[in-house]
Amino acid sequence: MRQKLFIALVFFFSLLMKCSSADEAYVTAQGADVVDIIDLASMKTLTSLPIGGKVAGVAMSKNGAHAYVTSPEGRYLTVIDTQLRRIEKKIPVNGAPLGVTVTDDEAFAYVCDVYGGQLIELDVRSGHQRNLHVGAMPSGLALTPDGKTLIVSVRDDNSLAIIDTQGFYIRHLLAVGAHPYGLSIDKNGARVYSANVESNDVSVVDIANYKVMATLKVENHPYTIALAAGRIFVANQHSDSISVFNALDFNPLGVIKVGEYPEGLSASRDEQFVYVTNWFSNELWSLNTSTLAVVGKATTSDGPRAFGSFVRSTP
Amino acid sequence: MRFACLAKILILLLVCDAPCVALAAHGASALKVVEEIMIDAPAERVWSVLADFDHINWMPSVDRVEVSGERIPDQARRRVIYKDGAEILELLTKSDKDRLMFGVHRETDDIRRLPAVNYTSLVTLHPQEGGKTTVEWKARFYRGFPNNNPPPELNDDVAISAVKDMVRAQLTALKHYMESDSNKK
Repeated sequence: MRQKLFIALVFFFSLLMKCSSADEAYVTAQGADVVDIIDLASMKTLTSLPIGGKVAGVAMSKNGAHAYVTSPEGRYLTVIDTQLRRIEKKIPVNGAPLGVTVTDDEAFAYVCDVYGGQLIELDVRSGHQRNLHVGAMPSGLALTPDGKTLIVSVRDDNSLAIIDTQGFYIRHLLAVGAHPYGLSIDKNGARVYSANVESNDVSVVDIANYKVMATLKVENHPYTIALAAGRIFVANQHSDSISVFNALDFNPLGVIKVGEYPEGLSASRDEQFVYVTNWFSNELWSLNTSTLAVVGKATTSDGPRAFGSFVRSTP
Repeated sequence: MRFACLAKILILLLVCDAPCVALAAHGASALKVVEEIMIDAPAERVWSVLADFDHINWMPSVDRVEVSGERIPDQARRRVIYKDGAEILELLTKSDKDRLMFGVHRETDDIRRLPAVNYTSLVTLHPQEGGKTTVEWKARFYRGFPNNNPPPELNDDVAISAVKDMVRAQLTALKHYMESDSNKK
């Protein structure tokens, strides 16, 4: 009996270990124009895929089968097969795509055309493109889990555009802090958080009621946000730090010092870790979301942006 | 085609005639330049010169500096007045003595002088054996043209080579200053 239990336990833990070791980061390194695929258990780069076009934004498909990366200057969206670690295709974009997100079924990808002020919907299979003008320098994107609502940070208009994806129109334009950039949405699709680069704060937005429900003071040049373990993580680009808040009462929980110019921020699916790319020092750091300790570091190719969700977990 | 490029530059010059402000438009791709130089002076002494926000005596092209605000990052600003009359407004972004890192962000751009915008420098001192110091100067900036299809005069390569030249000149000036007899101690 005891032996059976032991075998069951060993089996269980080996499964756990297998799951956690499968996590990978898809880091867009804009200077080197590649995507680094980094094994997050060993913090070692498995391969670097040449992408070109000043690769910047990234989104992971829900099942982890594909990574979508944008090239704002090359004017294309690259679809990476994560199993084969190979480029599956490049979809031409009539615009300069930066922020990207993809529907759960991967039927559509949305990208921000930073220079043209458009939100672009791309049919992933056909490449067919639909445009919606949203304002000056649309940058970040967040999709509600039901896929019905899309939030766009319209950086130079200091607003968020709340989009109805079915009808493809702007349901509401909401004023937030100055220069909203990175966005993150909670699991219920109830709240969206925007990092406001020029006002050094985060707007917490009640999506259904179009209301800023809280404004959180952070350090200098907040760039991106990740949500994990009931906490809000904010990368402060100029302060080389991550501000941490309790997502329930918005109480500050601490500030973590990281590498130079933190930019991309993404959580593991089990929410035990957040990963941050440091643009100036060419690193990916791993942080424990409960202890807030730095637990790992990897070297990346030049200029890691990783703007978007860049962590892949195998199903 | 050439006319279109000229027109773009003309519009930019008009827009930037008054020095462009901090929130000036910039593109989607930040550029980076990293240069270093070895200086025959201990890091402590290089730090005391470099991190003195009130003075840039080591730069021969600088006439004087006018400083305002508390001397802490994100508060201290300085107007750098060059001998040729040009002015640049800078914000102190980092002054970390423990890590020997010093950062400054340009709040005004003048693409006629430097075909790059939104320029930030981050200088790190690495102490070496024998009382020497490696100065690592990193720069982050965007090309002068804030959109796709830049005219050749304002593309990435032009911005990178101009910043590289500027950073090299600054490092050389700092080295000369630190190693000159009158400043040795």
